[in-house]
Amino acid sequence: SISSVSLQTIGAAFVAKVMSVRSRTVTLGIWDTAGSERYEAMSRIYYRGARAAIVCYDLTDSSSFQRAKFWVNELQNFEESCRIYLCGTKSDLLGEDKKKRGVDFHDVQDYADEIKAELFETSSKTGQSVDELFQKVAEDYVHLTAFQVMTEDEGVNLGRETSPYFYSCCHH
Amino acid sequence: MSLKSERRGIHVDQSELLCKKGCGYYGNPAWQGFCSKCWREEYHKARQKQIQEDWELAERLQREEEEAYASSHSTQGAQSLTFSKFEEKKTNEKTRKVITVKKFFSASSRTGTKKVLTGKLREIQDVRTPSPSINRQVSIETDRASKEFIEFLKTYQKPGQDIYKQCKIFLEAMHQKRELSIEEQSECAQDFYQNVAEKLQIRWKVSPEKVEKAMDHIEKYVMTRLYKYVFCPETTEDEKKDLVVQKRIRALHWVTPQMLCVPVNEEIPEVSEMVVKAITGIIEMDSKRVPRDKLACITQCSKHIFNAIKITKNEPASADDFLPTFIYIVLKGNPPRLQSNIQYITRFCNPSRLMTGEDGYYFTNLCCAVAFIEKLDAQSLNLSQEDFDRYMSGQTSPRKQEPENWSPDMCLGVKQMYKNLDLLSQLNERQERIVSEAKKLEKDLIDWTDGIAKEVQDIVEKYPLEIKPKNQPLAAIDSENVENDKLPPPLQPQVYAG
Repeated sequence: SISSVSLQTIGAAFVAKVMSVRSRTVTLGIWDTAGSERYEAMSRIYYRGARAAIVCYDLTDSSSFQRAKFWVNELQNFEESCRIYLCGTKSDLLGEDKKKRGVDFHDVQDYADEIKAELFETSSKTGQSVDELFQKVAEDYVHLTAFQVMTEDEGVNLGRETSPYFYSCCHH
Repeated sequence: MSLKSERRGIHVDQSELLCKKGCGYYGNPAWQGFCSKCWREEYHKARQKQIQEDWELAERLQREEEEAYASSHSTQGAQSLTFSKFEEKKTNEKTRKVITVKKFFSASSRTGTKKVLTGKLREIQDVRTPSPSINRQVSIETDRASKEFIEFLKTYQKPGQDIYKQCKIFLEAMHQKRELSIEEQSECAQDFYQNVAEKLQIRWKVSPEKVEKAMDHIEKYVMTRLYKYVFCPETTEDEKKDLVVQKRIRALHWVTPQMLCVPVNEEIPEVSEMVVKAITGIIEMDSKRVPRDKLACITQCSKHIFNAIKITKNEPASADDFLPTFIYIVLKGNPPRLQSNIQYITRFCNPSRLMTGEDGYYFTNLCCAVAFIEKLDAQSLNLSQEDFDRYMSGQTSPRKQEPENWSPDMCLGVKQMYKNLDLLSQLNERQERIVSEAKKLEKDLIDWTDGIAKEVQDIVEKYPLEIKPKNQPLAAIDSENVENDKLPPPLQPQVYAG
């Protein structure tokens, strides 16, 4: 499987990640989208038809969490069937120094419950929770489609999800 | 236009209904006015001749290609190639108009069993148009695609036969739908892809990998055939939009990498080579006929962009680096018929490829880049509205250098041009000053006349001129004395004796 470290070395805005969930093979097409405000108007083209979105924010920067809220609103308004995953990044920087944390865990958890999203605090440096996050995305996808598609046929399922910020966060 | 004039001229002479060869049987427009027997003979002859010519042309092309490959192929070559393609498109469109008219005539006489034959006839007709070399080239490509497809299907045995049958049915259906809107044709193609893929998977139990492979071949086969009817069709605004985008990109020629925050340093030779390759890739897209091949060009272009960023920044690129660079490449390359290509891919590409996978991702980025270019304003380039307007109107360019910054080896012509531009702008400034002063003078004059007129008016009002009637009796002087009678009587002359 692809760990966060190898993601960094691949250095692509697109990754096809093959995962196995309950004896089924799921290929996640992971799309990176430009997070800059300049391209806000175009972002809808990216997440059109996406099944899951990982919205990332910097755990040490409270303003980034406000931006994340903006993206959540966008997704809720324009892509209703898209599941949202909140992903705090740079958890390794928090370490023992509690002061560095700019976004309170419980605040985010409350927000996540409110918008029915999952929350993960990750680090691309140590790889903390990264695999769990993608595993959860794949599992939820399989679980949901099992309900929706009654005539389930074998083969490759192509889930697709976008992750504004994800890779950009990996670089900093 | 041509349709109308043809329509007006419809009149059927009995002799025109007979076989052109004069064998006495009735001819049929579907067989170009021959009867079925004569047509078969003629068709066979023409077909043989065409096959012979195709073969010769193929050999010649092969030779030319080899020669071209031997001499290094520069980007210039690629650009001129795509331009000739653009012209080809024009001729193709003319051809199509002719065909539509012919079809108008043949439609009534066509019967179910003759459909396939008309299809073949169409190919022949295409060959007989004024630009034979281009059309023959097209038919070579079609033939090659068919041969490859049949070879490929052999490996699939029974399902292969079924695929071939389905493709034929689909092509026939598309032929019938040619007059419908492009959206309906697109829907038909999407349904076809979905049905074939499902059938392969469920009925023939073909493995997913093999299904995907087969789908690629099917797409290649059908779209090579349909391309000229469904790419930038006349019924849509595609061509108009192409020109709008092209003009827009031309008007934005002044945009620098810095304005877009492009993390690419073109001064590094390796990077600039990558940029050139990326531009070539995106321009080449227009020359491909199969949607998947077009997508491959976009992906290739994107890979070069990633390399360029990687070399410049010495670290892998994210979407935040990639998208601006892609926009920059599109602006620099101004790929031909951008909108038509995007529409064509959206309408006729295998949907599973477009929605997922790497190709789909880069294609989405291209759509974003075009959307960005269309909406681009001062704010999106971090410029003031004044600067943006000035650059857009061509009054000045951000690349314009001051004379003191000129490098000594700068081209003399360019230097002279900048000097002249400076002179012109000075002249323009003076001209404007003169015009504004002249306008001021005019205004002053008008104000002055108005002022004088007003003063005169005021004085006239203040001292109105009263002219008294001339014939009034002088005695009237006294008439104003109201209490005349209260006065003592006027003195009367008295006579004194003395």
